[in-house]
Amino acid sequence: MINLKVNGQSLLSDAPPDTPLLWVLREELRLTGTRYGCGLGLCGSCTVHLNGQAVRSCQINVGDVGAAAITTIEGLHQAGAHPVQKAWVEIQVPQCGYCQSGQIMQAAALLAQNPNPTDKDIIEGMNGNLCRCATYPRIVGAVKRAVQMMKETNHG
Amino acid sequence: MAKDNLPNVSRREFLVRSAALSGGAFLSIGVPPALMSGAAAAAAEPATAAFTPSIWFTMTPDGTTTMHIVKAEMGQHIGTAFAQIIAEELEVPWSKVRLDMPLESVEDFAVYGLAYTVNSGSVTTEFDRIARAGALGRIALTEAGCKLLGAQMANCHAAEGRVIDKASGKSVSYGEILQKVKLDRKFSYPNDFKQVKLKDRSKYKIIGKSVPALDIPAKTNGQAKYGMDVFLPGMAYGALAIPRSRYGAKVQSVDDSAAKSIPGYLKSVTIDDSIGKCTGWVVALAETYPAAVKAARALKITSDPGPHGSLSLDGIMEDFSERLKRPEESAAWVLEGDVDAAMPASEKQLEAQYTSDMVCHATMEPINCVVQHASDDSWHVHIGTQSTSFLRMTLTGYLAKVLNKKPEELKVYVHQYLVGGGFGGKQDYDDALAAAYCVKELGRPVKFIQTRESQFATSFPRTPTLHKLKAGVKNGQLTAMNHDIVCGWMGPRFAVGKQFNNGTDWLQLDSVDGKKADIDQWSIGGSDHWYHVPNHRVRAWNSDKTTWSVQASALRTVSNSYNMFVVESFMDEVAHAAGKDPVEFRLAMLNGKGGNRGIPNTGYPAGTPSDYYMDQLWISLPWPNPDTWPKYESGTVGGALRLANCLKVAAEKAGWGKKLPPNTAMGVALSSAEERQSPTWVAGIAEVTVDPSSGKYRVNKLTIAMDMGLAINPNNIKAQIMGSALWGASQVMSERLTYKNGAIEQTNFHEYQPIRQVDVPQFDIHLIESGRHPVGVGEPASTVVAPAVANAIFRAVGARVRHMPITAEAVLGAMNKKTA
Repeated sequence: MINLKVNGQSLLSDAPPDTPLLWVLREELRLTGTRYGCGLGLCGSCTVHLNGQAVRSCQINVGDVGAAAITTIEGLHQAGAHPVQKAWVEIQVPQCGYCQSGQIMQAAALLAQNPNPTDKDIIEGMNGNLCRCATYPRIVGAVKRAVQMMKETNHG
Repeated sequence: MAKDNLPNVSRREFLVRSAALSGGAFLSIGVPPALMSGAAAAAAEPATAAFTPSIWFTMTPDGTTTMHIVKAEMGQHIGTAFAQIIAEELEVPWSKVRLDMPLESVEDFAVYGLAYTVNSGSVTTEFDRIARAGALGRIALTEAGCKLLGAQMANCHAAEGRVIDKASGKSVSYGEILQKVKLDRKFSYPNDFKQVKLKDRSKYKIIGKSVPALDIPAKTNGQAKYGMDVFLPGMAYGALAIPRSRYGAKVQSVDDSAAKSIPGYLKSVTIDDSIGKCTGWVVALAETYPAAVKAARALKITSDPGPHGSLSLDGIMEDFSERLKRPEESAAWVLEGDVDAAMPASEKQLEAQYTSDMVCHATMEPINCVVQHASDDSWHVHIGTQSTSFLRMTLTGYLAKVLNKKPEELKVYVHQYLVGGGFGGKQDYDDALAAAYCVKELGRPVKFIQTRESQFATSFPRTPTLHKLKAGVKNGQLTAMNHDIVCGWMGPRFAVGKQFNNGTDWLQLDSVDGKKADIDQWSIGGSDHWYHVPNHRVRAWNSDKTTWSVQASALRTVSNSYNMFVVESFMDEVAHAAGKDPVEFRLAMLNGKGGNRGIPNTGYPAGTPSDYYMDQLWISLPWPNPDTWPKYESGTVGGALRLANCLKVAAEKAGWGKKLPPNTAMGVALSSAEERQSPTWVAGIAEVTVDPSSGKYRVNKLTIAMDMGLAINPNNIKAQIMGSALWGASQVMSERLTYKNGAIEQTNFHEYQPIRQVDVPQFDIHLIESGRHPVGVGEPASTVVAPAVANAIFRAVGARVRHMPITAEAVLGAMNKKTA
């Protein structure tokens, strides 16, 4: 059994250690907000946080996670109201929605590390996340809106 | 056989009636409560009586109104648009509106009709019908409310979910009415439906407002449900071993000795492919998905690749060239004037050959489903699909065949979920057939998920194409145009399994020259442009070999995606040869004369697709008699003049003609996708900078003007235009699928590269609300980008690239050719 720290909870998995974390989260722990897109770390749909860093959960074996804290889209904010999530709704980013958990997790990690990103920072930071509906312009707009919201909160 | 699947529908009355509730079953008719999908179960609330005046919505006594959306929710936010239309006429406050997706079953097919989401047709075809349903609901509630208030009908009206008596100033809410009155109002069908007066558009409060899409919040917190988010007790997992060839492979032997050492491996199943679907498919089943994927890769399968095993893209292109030499095998699609006489009479002739590569949908959600054979002997498919009804019909027929039963003995249900990207790629159903076959073999529910690799290998690509064009110019005008198109036609392929779906014939149009030959609109459409060319001919050849080998299919805007590239690129070539400005040259031909004036107010019966091809296709399905049904205005009204108007707007906003930096230019293109009978009018201008040393180019800005008649939700329309335009940019810049020895070569996103953030241009979008009938907005803008970019590259550095995608090498090659 592997002990995992997911969204602040301690959870057990009986998956073989070489199982990609993605499938443990989705199919065993049923945190289905994390999506399978490519299995090779090329699309970003499966992005989660490992100790706050955005990682591709399809590229990490569950046996290698150790004591690191895993955060999925379900655990980003208890009410789904992280500034990035709020901005995503306000700017009306998602279309089909399938890649958006990954986009949001990527953006949240980006802003945690760089609270004042330039347009270039945002575009480059989000470039690894494919969106076939091409919601790209609104993703950039929403990241900027989230920056604003975070500042308002900090100063408010 | 097919007839057994057909409900006998002749609804003479439109019932407005309260229905007693039991549990959550009121949410959608016929849902076995235990199997209700997550999407459908979400809104269940205790209540005493529900008001279901139509199949399109249900109102509960707290005033909550749930709209039943039979169209696939795949990014276009169609549920929100439909809800806006119904809520507007019903006069319910937007805060009370919810959505659900009805279950697809043979019984409900009689009620909802065909659930099929394609062709950018949902708003176009349903607007009138659902608006009338909302209006009749309002009338029934107003009458009942008026009675409760003891008022005169003449003094009563409904607004914001209340019935108001002008005389007394008193009012009663819809919810209170439902609590106090048992509604039982009948409207005649279709007469009352026809008679009901719809709102004057100047009075709209919800239509035209950018209300937030109702499906968006769940897509930001992990709660959105797609087919693969379903879990059933005892469920096993299935992964597909990549078949030896794209189509026609025959499995000879399967050795699973290596797979047996993988913990959790259950068995491998060779799918029954006797109906011509899932050819050469072997699925590995296991207790977990990673184990199933490992096992699928460990299977040693010997297959005969089938008839196309040695065919490659080169061979397909050779086949195209050979066919072009035989005009007697062509069918005519457009025939105006006399091209053969006019061509030699022109002063200047121009010839060009264009080609386009294959591309595929590559939806972010790989195709997946969960299939269950329930204890009551019913079959349940949980899936996000564009082809809900056809999937059910085909699966019913397939299961009957493999189980040796009669179709009418089988109960098949399709539970619709969100679709993680469709683009035409989720209108086939091989995956559901394969999963169901695995369920039969294993005796357990199966969750089947395509790996990205097997998804590419079994994708249904857009056909490669070859075009020969010839133009005759006289007095600076295009007087004669011939366009020959050869490609794989998707119609014949769609007909696989048609024995199970009402015998629908997907190849119904006839050659317009009187020759006894079929023609496939979905492979040729778009070439029938709206420019006035007195002598115009389009001829088409079907490369059957291509259709079957690559499994040619529909991809966002279908044939417009290549035909607009070709027609609009060539128009610039002709303008250049005639010494005219590309915008002026186009405007002169968009005079709205003759067939290009549009069809004034003939419309099509509401609830049927708007173009005649689709009318024929749908004829055997249970739609109301077109003669007795209210007709809505045709989207073609105004014709080419509306396209000219879009062009003027785009040119003005983009600053057409202004001075630009070196190696930078604007290119223009127009589109009337989706079909000539259901056009959305679009003009696009691309500003592009080319690096002359490498041929690399960057799209700086896209200016798009679109006339969609009526904008239901402007903010969403802008999102749809941006997304579809970027789809078009992706197609011209980087997407390419290749085919070798019977198989698709690309396996994942390192080899197949859709557009990413760094290549996104600036946007300037202009919605033109001409006040005409609303038409689809999710696709058409994608078609103007490729030709506008091609034309901009030519104007920037003089390189004319006649192939899509346009690579840097091709730009460089064309530049060298120019200077050579």
